[in-house]
Amino acid sequence: MNTMEIHLQVNGESKRWSIAPGDLLLDVLRREGYFGVKRGCERGECGACTVLLDGKAVNACLMFAAQADGREILTIEGLAQGDRLDPLQEAFLDHGAVQCGFCAPGMLLNARALLMSNPDPTEDEVRDALSGNMCRCTGYVKPVEAVLAAARAYRRRSKAARTGGAR
Amino acid sequence: MFDHVEAFHRPRSIPEAVRLLRLKGRGARVVAGGTDVIVQADREIRALVDITGLGLDYIRKNGDGWAIGATATMSSVANSAAMRAFAAGIIAAAAATCGSVQLRNMATVGGNLANASPAADLAIPLLALDATAVAAGERGRRGMPLADFFTGPGKTSLDGRLLVEVLIPLPPRGRTGWSFQKLGRTEVDISLVSLAAGLQLDAKGRVKFARIAMGAVGPMPLRARAAEQTLAGHALDENLIGAAAAAAAREAQPISDLRASAEYRRDMCGALTARALRECARQAGCSL
Ligand SMILES: Cc1cc2nc3c(=O)[nH]c(=O)nc-3n(C[C@H](O)[C@H](O)[C@H](O)COP(=O)(O)OP(=O)(O)OC[C@H]3O[C@@H](n4cnc5c(N)ncnc54)[C@H](O)[C@@H]3O)c2cc1C
Ligand code: FES
Ligand code: FES
Repeated sequence: MNTMEIHLQVNGESKRWSIAPGDLLLDVLRREGYFGVKRGCERGECGACTVLLDGKAVNACLMFAAQADGREILTIEGLAQGDRLDPLQEAFLDHGAVQCGFCAPGMLLNARALLMSNPDPTEDEVRDALSGNMCRCTGYVKPVEAVLAAARAYRRRSKAARTGGAR
Repeated sequence: MFDHVEAFHRPRSIPEAVRLLRLKGRGARVVAGGTDVIVQADREIRALVDITGLGLDYIRKNGDGWAIGATATMSSVANSAAMRAFAAGIIAAAAATCGSVQLRNMATVGGNLANASPAADLAIPLLALDATAVAAGERGRRGMPLADFFTGPGKTSLDGRLLVEVLIPLPPRGRTGWSFQKLGRTEVDISLVSLAAGLQLDAKGRVKFARIAMGAVGPMPLRARAAEQTLAGHALDENLIGAAAAAAAREAQPISDLRASAEYRRDMCGALTARALRECARQAGCSL
Protein backbone atom coordinates (compact mmCIF):
# COMPACT_ATOMS: atom_id res chain seq x y z
CA MET A 1 0.00 0.00 0.00
CA ASN A 2 1.15 3.56 -0.69
CA THR A 3 2.12 5.70 2.25
CA MET A 4 2.75 9.39 2.73
CA GLU A 5 4.15 11.58 5.48
CA ILE A 6 2.35 14.29 7.35
CA HIS A 7 3.80 16.83 9.79
CA LEU A 8 1.51 18.32 12.36
CA GLN A 9 1.31 19.63 15.92
CA VAL A 10 -0.68 17.56 18.39
CA ASN A 11 -1.22 19.08 21.81
CA GLY A 12 1.77 21.34 21.23
CA GLU A 13 4.13 18.55 20.18
CA SER A 14 5.56 18.25 16.71
CA LYS A 15 4.67 14.95 15.00
CA ARG A 16 5.73 13.31 11.76
CA TRP A 17 3.50 10.39 10.89
CA SER A 18 3.43 7.92 8.07
CA ILE A 19 -0.13 7.35 6.87
CA ALA A 20 -2.03 5.79 3.99
CA PRO A 21 -3.57 8.39 1.66
CA GLY A 22 -7.10 7.22 2.49
CA ASP A 23 -6.64 7.10 6.30
CA LEU A 24 -9.18 9.00 8.37
CA LEU A 25 -7.95 11.38 11.06
CA LEU A 26 -9.94 9.51 13.73
CA ASP A 27 -8.18 6.22 12.95
CA VAL A 28 -4.73 7.78 12.85
CA LEU A 29 -5.16 9.65 16.15
CA ARG A 30 -6.32 6.49 17.91
CA ARG A 31 -3.53 4.45 16.30
CA GLU A 32 -1.07 6.99 17.72
CA GLY A 33 -2.53 6.53 21.20
CA TYR A 34 -4.94 9.45 21.52
CA PHE A 35 -7.78 7.33 22.87
CA GLY A 36 -9.61 10.39 24.18
CA VAL A 37 -10.72 10.82 20.58
CA LYS A 38 -13.76 8.54 20.76
CA ARG A 39 -15.10 6.38 17.98
CA GLY A 40 -18.87 6.79 17.94
CA CYS A 41 -21.16 6.97 14.92
CA GLU A 42 -18.32 7.56 12.42
CA ARG A 43 -20.64 9.71 10.31
CA GLY A 44 -20.54 13.16 11.81
CA GLU A 45 -23.61 12.86 13.99
CA CYS A 46 -22.51 12.18 17.58
CA GLY A 47 -19.53 14.50 18.13
CA ALA A 48 -17.62 11.94 20.23
CA CYS A 49 -14.60 12.26 17.91
CA THR A 50 -14.43 16.08 18.16
CA VAL A 51 -10.94 17.61 18.15
CA LEU A 52 -9.81 21.19 17.65
CA LEU A 53 -8.10 21.88 14.33
CA ASP A 54 -6.32 25.25 14.41
CA GLY A 55 -8.68 26.12 17.27
CA LYS A 56 -11.89 25.11 15.52
CA ALA A 57 -14.03 22.12 16.48
CA VAL A 58 -14.20 19.43 13.80
CA ASN A 59 -15.26 15.78 13.63
CA ALA A 60 -12.15 13.62 13.27
CA CYS A 61 -14.29 10.90 11.66
CA LEU A 62 -15.16 13.21 8.75
CA MET A 63 -11.60 14.20 7.85
CA PHE A 64 -8.82 12.51 5.98
CA ALA A 65 -5.65 12.47 8.07
CA ALA A 66 -3.81 14.01 5.10
CA GLN A 67 -6.01 17.10 5.52
CA ALA A 68 -4.35 17.70 8.90
CA ASP A 69 -0.90 18.10 7.34
CA GLY A 70 0.72 21.32 8.57
CA ARG A 71 -2.09 22.01 11.04
CA GLU A 72 -2.41 22.12 14.80
CA ILE A 73 -4.61 19.66 16.68
CA LEU A 74 -5.80 19.73 20.26
CA THR A 75 -7.22 16.51 21.73
CA ILE A 76 -8.60 16.10 25.23
CA GLU A 77 -5.20 14.74 26.32
CA GLY A 78 -3.84 18.27 25.81
CA LEU A 79 -6.53 20.30 27.58
CA ALA A 80 -5.18 20.16 31.14
CA GLN A 81 -1.89 21.93 31.97
CA GLY A 82 0.04 19.03 33.50
CA ASP A 83 -1.82 18.19 36.71
CA ARG A 84 -3.91 21.35 36.58
CA LEU A 85 -7.31 20.73 35.05
CA ASP A 86 -8.78 23.27 32.69
CA PRO A 87 -11.64 25.33 34.22
CA LEU A 88 -13.98 23.50 31.85
CA GLN A 89 -12.89 20.13 33.22
CA GLU A 90 -13.28 21.44 36.80
CA ALA A 91 -16.74 22.72 36.01
CA PHE A 92 -17.82 19.42 34.42
CA LEU A 93 -16.71 17.59 37.58
CA ASP A 94 -18.30 20.12 39.96
CA HIS A 95 -21.63 20.03 38.12
CA GLY A 96 -21.83 16.27 37.71
CA ALA A 97 -21.78 16.74 33.94
CA VAL A 98 -19.85 13.51 33.40
CA GLN A 99 -21.62 10.18 33.87
CA CYS A 100 -20.26 7.41 31.64
CA GLY A 101 -17.96 10.04 30.16
CA PHE A 102 -17.99 8.84 26.56
CA CYS A 103 -19.22 12.20 25.24
CA ALA A 104 -17.07 14.29 27.59
CA PRO A 105 -13.90 14.73 25.47
CA GLY A 106 -15.90 15.96 22.50
CA MET A 107 -18.15 18.20 24.59
CA LEU A 108 -15.23 19.74 26.44
CA LEU A 109 -13.28 20.52 23.29
CA ASN A 110 -16.31 21.90 21.48
CA ALA A 111 -17.11 24.04 24.53
CA ARG A 112 -13.48 25.17 24.62
CA ALA A 113 -13.70 26.42 21.03
CA LEU A 114 -16.95 28.20 21.84
CA LEU A 115 -15.50 30.00 24.87
CA MET A 116 -12.38 31.04 22.96
CA SER A 117 -14.49 32.82 20.35
CA ASN A 118 -17.40 33.86 22.59
CA PRO A 119 -16.33 34.33 26.23
CA ASP A 120 -19.81 35.25 27.46
CA PRO A 121 -22.31 32.96 25.68
CA THR A 122 -26.01 32.82 26.48
CA GLU A 123 -27.57 29.49 27.44
CA ASP A 124 -29.07 29.29 23.94
CA GLU A 125 -25.67 29.80 22.36
CA VAL A 126 -24.21 27.02 24.51
CA ARG A 127 -27.07 24.68 23.60
CA ASP A 128 -26.68 25.53 19.93
CA ALA A 129 -22.93 24.92 20.04
CA LEU A 130 -23.36 21.57 21.82
CA SER A 131 -26.09 20.38 19.46
CA GLY A 132 -23.48 18.33 17.59
CA ASN A 133 -22.49 16.40 20.73
CA MET A 134 -24.80 13.59 21.75
CA CYS A 135 -24.99 12.47 25.33
CA ARG A 136 -26.98 9.40 26.32
CA CYS A 137 -26.62 9.89 30.09
CA THR A 138 -26.87 13.43 31.42
CA GLY A 139 -29.84 14.91 29.57
CA TYR A 140 -27.64 17.92 28.69
CA VAL A 141 -28.77 20.14 31.59
CA LYS A 142 -25.61 19.66 33.61
CA PRO A 143 -23.16 19.99 30.72
CA VAL A 144 -24.84 23.28 29.75
CA GLU A 145 -24.64 24.56 33.34
CA ALA A 146 -21.01 23.47 33.50
CA VAL A 147 -20.09 25.35 30.32
CA LEU A 148 -21.78 28.52 31.61
CA ALA A 149 -19.89 28.17 34.92
CA ALA A 150 -16.62 27.59 33.09
CA ALA A 151 -17.26 30.71 31.00
CA ARG A 152 -17.42 32.71 34.24
CA ALA A 153 -14.20 31.08 35.44
CA TYR A 154 -12.42 31.83 32.13
CA ARG A 155 -13.54 35.46 32.35
CA ARG A 156 -12.31 35.78 35.95
CA ARG A 157 -8.99 34.31 34.92
CA SER A 158 -8.47 36.64 31.96
CA LYS A 159 -9.54 39.63 34.09
CA ALA A 160 -6.94 38.65 36.69
CA ALA A 161 -4.34 38.38 33.94
CA ARG A 162 -5.31 41.83 32.61
CA THR A 163 -5.06 43.57 35.98
CA GLY A 164 -1.34 42.93 35.95
CA GLY A 165 -1.36 39.51 37.58
CA ALA A 166 -2.00 41.12 40.98
CA ARG A 167 -1.77 38.27 43.48
CA MET B 1 -13.05 2.23 4.13
CA PHE B 2 -10.70 4.05 1.78
CA ASP B 3 -8.03 1.32 1.54
CA HIS B 4 -8.06 1.49 -2.25
CA VAL B 5 -7.01 5.13 -2.32
CA GLU B 6 -3.57 5.32 -3.88
CA ALA B 7 -2.79 9.01 -3.60
CA PHE B 8 -3.81 12.20 -1.83
CA HIS B 9 -3.04 15.26 -3.95
CA ARG B 10 -2.84 18.84 -2.74
CA PRO B 11 -2.69 20.98 -5.88
CA ARG B 12 -1.56 24.58 -5.43
CA SER B 13 -3.30 26.11 -8.43
CA ILE B 14 -6.57 25.72 -10.30
CA PRO B 15 -4.88 24.57 -13.55
CA GLU B 16 -2.95 21.94 -11.57
CA ALA B 17 -6.16 20.71 -9.94
CA VAL B 18 -7.96 20.58 -13.29
CA ARG B 19 -5.05 18.67 -14.85
CA LEU B 20 -5.00 16.16 -11.99
CA LEU B 21 -8.73 15.54 -12.31
CA ARG B 22 -8.39 14.81 -16.01
CA LEU B 23 -5.30 12.64 -15.55
CA LYS B 24 -6.88 10.49 -12.85
CA GLY B 25 -10.25 10.31 -14.57
CA ARG B 26 -13.12 8.47 -12.95
CA GLY B 27 -11.11 7.23 -9.98
CA ALA B 28 -10.38 10.80 -8.87
CA ARG B 29 -12.54 12.61 -6.35
CA VAL B 30 -12.40 16.24 -5.32
CA VAL B 31 -12.25 16.72 -1.54
CA ALA B 32 -13.17 20.07 -0.04
CA GLY B 33 -14.54 19.62 3.49
CA GLY B 34 -14.83 15.87 2.93
CA THR B 35 -18.07 15.58 4.88
CA ASP B 36 -20.03 14.04 2.00
CA VAL B 37 -17.10 12.17 0.42
CA ILE B 38 -16.34 10.33 3.67
CA VAL B 39 -19.91 9.43 4.59
CA GLN B 40 -20.56 8.15 1.05
CA ALA B 41 -17.44 5.93 1.28
CA ASP B 42 -17.28 5.17 -2.45
CA ARG B 43 -14.89 2.23 -2.88
CA GLU B 44 -14.08 3.19 -6.47
CA ILE B 45 -12.03 6.21 -5.38
CA ARG B 46 -8.32 5.85 -6.23
CA ALA B 47 -7.10 9.44 -5.91
CA LEU B 48 -8.25 12.24 -3.63
CA VAL B 49 -7.69 15.81 -4.79
CA ASP B 50 -7.80 18.28 -1.89
CA ILE B 51 -8.79 21.69 -3.26
CA THR B 52 -8.54 23.67 -0.01
CA GLY B 53 -5.10 24.99 -0.98
CA LEU B 54 -6.35 26.90 -4.03
CA GLY B 55 -7.27 30.12 -2.23
CA LEU B 56 -10.98 29.64 -2.98
CA ASP B 57 -12.24 30.32 0.55
CA TYR B 58 -13.21 33.94 -0.10
CA ILE B 59 -16.45 35.88 0.23
CA ARG B 60 -15.99 39.11 -1.70
CA LYS B 61 -17.73 41.83 -3.65
CA ASN B 62 -18.11 41.18 -7.35
CA GLY B 63 -19.39 44.27 -9.14
CA ASP B 64 -22.73 45.06 -7.53
CA GLY B 65 -23.11 41.53 -6.25
CA TRP B 66 -21.06 38.95 -4.38
CA ALA B 67 -18.73 36.06 -5.11
CA ILE B 68 -18.43 33.11 -2.75
CA GLY B 69 -15.42 30.85 -3.37
CA ALA B 70 -16.06 27.11 -3.59
CA THR B 71 -14.13 26.28 -0.42
CA ALA B 72 -15.67 28.97 1.80
CA THR B 73 -16.97 27.02 4.80
CA MET B 74 -20.52 27.09 6.10
CA SER B 75 -19.15 28.71 9.29
CA SER B 76 -17.45 31.51 7.40
CA VAL B 77 -20.63 32.22 5.42
CA ALA B 78 -22.85 32.01 8.52
CA ASN B 79 -20.56 34.38 10.42
CA SER B 80 -19.86 36.82 7.59
CA ALA B 81 -21.25 40.27 8.37
CA ALA B 82 -21.74 40.87 4.64
CA MET B 83 -23.70 37.65 4.15
CA ARG B 84 -25.81 38.32 7.22
CA ALA B 85 -26.87 41.63 5.70
CA PHE B 86 -27.19 40.70 2.00
CA ALA B 87 -30.77 39.80 0.91
CA ALA B 88 -31.97 39.83 4.52
CA GLY B 89 -29.23 37.33 5.35
CA ILE B 90 -30.84 34.28 3.71
CA ILE B 91 -27.54 32.79 2.51
CA ALA B 92 -26.01 33.10 5.98
CA ALA B 93 -29.21 31.72 7.53
CA ALA B 94 -29.09 28.63 5.32
CA ALA B 95 -25.40 28.08 6.12
CA ALA B 96 -26.12 28.41 9.85
CA THR B 97 -28.66 25.56 9.69
CA CYS B 98 -26.25 23.05 8.11
CA GLY B 99 -25.52 20.37 10.68
CA SER B 100 -23.53 21.08 13.83
CA VAL B 101 -20.78 23.61 14.57
CA GLN B 102 -18.22 20.90 13.87
CA LEU B 103 -19.78 20.12 10.51
CA ARG B 104 -20.04 23.78 9.52
CA ASN B 105 -16.34 24.28 10.27
CA MET B 106 -15.52 21.71 7.58
CA ALA B 107 -18.39 21.68 5.08
CA THR B 108 -17.98 24.02 2.12
CA VAL B 109 -20.39 25.86 -0.16
CA GLY B 110 -18.87 24.26 -3.26
CA GLY B 111 -19.17 20.78 -1.75
CA ASN B 112 -22.80 21.40 -0.89
CA LEU B 113 -23.60 22.35 -4.50
CA ALA B 114 -21.35 19.79 -6.25
CA ASN B 115 -22.75 16.99 -4.09
CA ALA B 116 -26.15 17.94 -5.54
CA SER B 117 -28.31 16.45 -2.83
CA PRO B 118 -31.98 17.38 -3.32
CA ALA B 119 -31.73 18.66 0.26
CA ALA B 120 -28.61 20.82 -0.25
CA ASP B 121 -29.49 23.79 1.92
CA LEU B 122 -27.19 26.40 0.35
CA ALA B 123 -28.64 25.72 -3.07
CA ILE B 124 -32.04 27.06 -2.01
CA PRO B 125 -31.26 30.73 -1.26
CA LEU B 126 -28.70 30.73 -4.10
CA LEU B 127 -31.35 29.53 -6.58
CA ALA B 128 -33.79 32.16 -5.33
CA LEU B 129 -31.11 34.82 -5.82
CA ASP B 130 -30.39 33.78 -9.45
CA ALA B 131 -26.82 32.74 -8.66
CA THR B 132 -24.36 31.58 -11.33
CA ALA B 133 -22.01 28.64 -10.82
CA VAL B 134 -18.55 29.15 -12.31
CA ALA B 135 -16.69 25.99 -13.35
CA ALA B 136 -13.06 25.64 -14.49
CA GLY B 137 -12.01 23.02 -17.01
CA GLU B 138 -9.17 22.55 -19.41
CA ARG B 139 -10.76 24.99 -21.81
CA GLY B 140 -11.07 27.74 -19.23
CA ARG B 141 -13.90 29.03 -17.07
CA ARG B 142 -17.57 29.03 -17.78
CA GLY B 143 -20.53 30.32 -15.80
CA MET B 144 -23.94 28.69 -15.82
CA PRO B 145 -27.16 29.58 -14.03
CA LEU B 146 -27.42 27.48 -10.88
CA ALA B 147 -30.82 26.32 -12.13
CA ASP B 148 -28.99 24.50 -14.99
CA PHE B 149 -26.22 23.22 -12.73
CA PHE B 150 -28.32 20.51 -11.06
CA THR B 151 -29.36 17.71 -13.40
CA GLY B 152 -30.60 15.00 -11.01
CA PRO B 153 -30.05 13.50 -7.56
CA GLY B 154 -26.27 13.68 -7.01
CA LYS B 155 -25.81 14.87 -10.59
CA THR B 156 -24.53 18.15 -11.96
CA SER B 157 -23.40 19.48 -15.31
CA LEU B 158 -19.83 19.81 -13.97
CA ASP B 159 -18.67 16.72 -15.87
CA GLY B 160 -15.24 16.44 -14.25
CA ARG B 161 -14.67 20.19 -14.04
CA LEU B 162 -13.96 22.13 -10.88
CA LEU B 163 -16.58 24.38 -9.34
CA VAL B 164 -14.64 27.57 -8.60
CA GLU B 165 -17.17 30.03 -7.20
CA VAL B 166 -20.78 31.14 -7.16
CA LEU B 167 -21.70 34.64 -8.25
CA ILE B 168 -24.73 36.33 -6.77
CA PRO B 169 -26.08 39.37 -8.62
CA LEU B 170 -27.48 42.35 -6.79
CA PRO B 171 -31.17 41.60 -6.22
CA PRO B 172 -33.89 44.16 -6.98
CA ARG B 173 -34.06 47.08 -4.58
CA GLY B 174 -36.86 49.13 -3.08
CA ARG B 175 -39.78 47.42 -1.30
CA THR B 176 -38.26 43.96 -1.02
CA GLY B 177 -38.16 41.03 1.34
CA TRP B 178 -36.28 37.72 1.53
CA SER B 179 -36.85 34.69 3.72
CA PHE B 180 -35.27 31.27 4.28
CA GLN B 181 -37.27 28.53 6.03
CA LYS B 182 -36.12 25.07 7.01
CA LEU B 183 -37.97 22.23 8.56
CA GLY B 184 -35.80 19.51 10.09
CA ARG B 185 -36.36 16.62 12.45
CA THR B 186 -33.70 17.84 14.85
CA GLU B 187 -31.28 20.74 15.08
CA VAL B 188 -28.55 18.89 13.20
CA ASP B 189 -30.54 16.77 10.74
CA ILE B 190 -30.79 17.40 7.01
CA SER B 191 -33.88 19.23 5.79
CA LEU B 192 -37.30 17.62 5.40
CA VAL B 193 -38.18 20.69 3.40
CA SER B 194 -36.26 23.92 2.95
CA LEU B 195 -37.50 26.95 1.11
CA ALA B 196 -36.40 30.44 0.15
CA ALA B 197 -38.54 33.26 -1.15
CA GLY B 198 -37.92 36.80 -2.38
CA LEU B 199 -40.35 39.55 -3.32
CA GLN B 200 -40.24 43.05 -4.73
CA LEU B 201 -43.43 45.14 -4.56
CA ASP B 202 -44.29 48.24 -6.54
CA ALA B 203 -45.68 51.41 -4.97
CA LYS B 204 -49.21 50.00 -5.13
CA GLY B 205 -48.29 46.80 -3.35
CA ARG B 206 -48.32 44.64 -6.50
CA VAL B 207 -45.68 41.94 -6.92
CA LYS B 208 -43.05 43.10 -9.41
CA PHE B 209 -40.58 40.28 -8.83
CA ALA B 210 -41.00 36.92 -7.11
CA ARG B 211 -38.65 34.02 -6.46
CA ILE B 212 -39.38 30.77 -4.68
CA ALA B 213 -36.88 27.90 -4.44
CA MET B 214 -37.38 24.66 -2.56
CA GLY B 215 -35.27 21.76 -1.36
CA ALA B 216 -35.85 18.11 -0.45
CA VAL B 217 -39.12 18.00 -2.39
CA GLY B 218 -37.83 16.78 -5.75
CA PRO B 219 -34.91 15.05 -7.48
CA MET B 220 -32.88 18.26 -7.11
CA PRO B 221 -33.22 21.75 -5.65
CA LEU B 222 -36.04 23.40 -7.61
CA ARG B 223 -37.46 26.78 -8.50
CA ALA B 224 -41.25 26.90 -7.96
CA ARG B 225 -41.92 28.69 -11.23
CA ALA B 226 -45.71 28.25 -11.29
CA ALA B 227 -45.93 29.68 -7.79
CA GLU B 228 -43.76 32.62 -8.86
CA GLN B 229 -46.09 33.24 -11.83
CA THR B 230 -49.12 33.08 -9.55
CA LEU B 231 -47.66 36.02 -7.64
CA ALA B 232 -46.37 38.19 -10.47
CA GLY B 233 -48.37 41.33 -11.20
CA HIS B 234 -50.96 40.82 -8.46
CA ALA B 235 -51.60 42.74 -5.28
CA LEU B 236 -50.06 40.88 -2.35
CA ASP B 237 -52.64 39.73 0.20
CA GLU B 238 -53.48 36.58 2.16
CA ASN B 239 -55.50 35.16 -0.77
CA LEU B 240 -52.58 35.53 -3.14
CA ILE B 241 -50.21 33.97 -0.60
CA GLY B 242 -52.61 31.04 -0.23
CA ALA B 243 -52.74 30.57 -4.00
CA ALA B 244 -48.94 30.70 -4.30
CA ALA B 245 -48.53 28.23 -1.44
CA ALA B 246 -50.96 25.83 -3.13
CA ALA B 247 -49.11 26.20 -6.42
CA ALA B 248 -45.74 25.48 -4.77
CA ALA B 249 -47.17 22.38 -3.06
CA ARG B 250 -48.50 21.17 -6.44
CA GLU B 251 -45.14 21.75 -8.10
CA ALA B 252 -43.26 19.82 -5.45
CA GLN B 253 -42.36 16.23 -6.39
CA PRO B 254 -41.54 14.80 -2.98
CA ILE B 255 -40.81 11.18 -2.14
CA SER B 256 -41.37 9.26 1.09
CA ASP B 257 -38.30 8.17 3.02
CA LEU B 258 -37.36 7.38 6.58
CA ARG B 259 -37.54 11.05 7.53
CA ALA B 260 -41.01 11.97 6.22
CA SER B 261 -43.80 10.90 3.89
CA ALA B 262 -44.35 12.53 0.51
CA GLU B 263 -47.75 13.87 1.66
CA TYR B 264 -46.25 15.53 4.71
CA ARG B 265 -43.47 17.08 2.66
CA ARG B 266 -45.98 18.43 0.14
CA ASP B 267 -48.14 19.95 2.90
CA MET B 268 -45.11 21.48 4.57
CA CYS B 269 -43.93 22.88 1.26
CA GLY B 270 -47.17 24.88 1.13
CA ALA B 271 -46.89 25.90 4.77
CA LEU B 272 -43.29 27.08 4.42
CA THR B 273 -44.14 29.00 1.23
CA ALA B 274 -46.86 30.91 3.08
CA ARG B 275 -44.59 31.51 6.06
CA ALA B 276 -41.76 32.77 3.84
CA LEU B 277 -44.03 35.07 1.82
CA ARG B 278 -45.51 36.61 4.97
CA GLU B 279 -42.00 37.30 6.20
CA CYS B 280 -41.10 38.90 2.83
CA ALA B 281 -44.28 41.01 2.97
CA ARG B 282 -43.41 42.23 6.44
CA GLN B 283 -39.93 43.28 5.33
CA ALA B 284 -41.39 45.01 2.26
CA GLY B 285 -43.69 47.01 4.53
CA CYS B 286 -46.88 45.34 3.26
CA SER B 287 -49.44 44.80 6.03
CA LEU B 288 -51.41 42.12 4.05
C1 LIG C 1 -24.03 14.85 10.07
C2 LIG C 1 -24.22 15.60 8.80
C3 LIG C 1 -25.17 16.62 8.73
C4 LIG C 1 -25.38 17.34 7.55
N1 LIG C 1 -26.29 18.32 7.54
C5 LIG C 1 -26.52 19.02 6.40
C6 LIG C 1 -27.50 20.04 6.35
O1 LIG C 1 -28.17 20.36 7.34
N2 LIG C 1 -27.71 20.67 5.17
C7 LIG C 1 -27.00 20.36 4.05
O2 LIG C 1 -27.24 20.97 3.01
N3 LIG C 1 -26.05 19.40 4.06
C8 LIG C 1 -25.80 18.72 5.20
N4 LIG C 1 -24.84 17.73 5.21
C9 LIG C 1 -24.14 17.38 3.97
C10 LIG C 1 -22.75 18.03 3.77
O3 LIG C 1 -22.14 18.34 4.98
C11 LIG C 1 -22.83 19.26 2.90
O4 LIG C 1 -23.34 18.91 1.64
C12 LIG C 1 -21.47 19.96 2.73
O5 LIG C 1 -21.66 21.28 2.31
C13 LIG C 1 -20.55 19.29 1.75
O6 LIG C 1 -19.38 20.06 1.65
P1 LIG C 1 -17.93 19.41 1.77
O7 LIG C 1 -16.98 20.50 1.52
O8 LIG C 1 -17.79 18.65 3.00
O9 LIG C 1 -17.99 18.43 0.51
P2 LIG C 1 -17.07 17.21 0.11
O10 LIG C 1 -17.49 16.00 0.84
O11 LIG C 1 -15.65 17.59 0.14
O12 LIG C 1 -17.54 17.10 -1.42
C14 LIG C 1 -18.87 16.75 -1.76
C15 LIG C 1 -18.94 16.33 -3.23
O13 LIG C 1 -18.69 17.43 -4.09
C16 LIG C 1 -17.51 17.26 -4.83
N5 LIG C 1 -16.86 18.58 -4.79
C17 LIG C 1 -16.60 19.31 -3.67
N6 LIG C 1 -16.13 20.52 -4.00
C18 LIG C 1 -16.09 20.56 -5.35
C19 LIG C 1 -15.70 21.55 -6.30
N7 LIG C 1 -15.27 22.77 -5.91
N8 LIG C 1 -15.77 21.25 -7.62
C20 LIG C 1 -16.22 20.03 -8.03
N9 LIG C 1 -16.61 19.07 -7.18
C21 LIG C 1 -16.54 19.32 -5.86
C22 LIG C 1 -16.75 16.14 -4.17
O14 LIG C 1 -15.97 15.42 -5.09
C23 LIG C 1 -17.89 15.30 -3.62
O15 LIG C 1 -18.42 14.49 -4.62
C24 LIG C 1 -24.61 17.01 6.39
C25 LIG C 1 -23.65 16.00 6.45
C26 LIG C 1 -23.44 15.29 7.63
C27 LIG C 1 -22.40 14.23 7.66
S1 FES D 1 -17.71 9.45 15.60
FE1 FES D 1 -17.39 11.33 14.62
S2 FES D 1 -19.24 12.35 14.92
FE2 FES D 1 -19.67 10.40 15.71
S1 FES E 1 -22.04 11.04 29.98
FE1 FES E 1 -22.54 9.21 28.97
S2 FES E 1 -22.80 9.85 26.95
FE2 FES E 1 -22.58 11.70 27.98
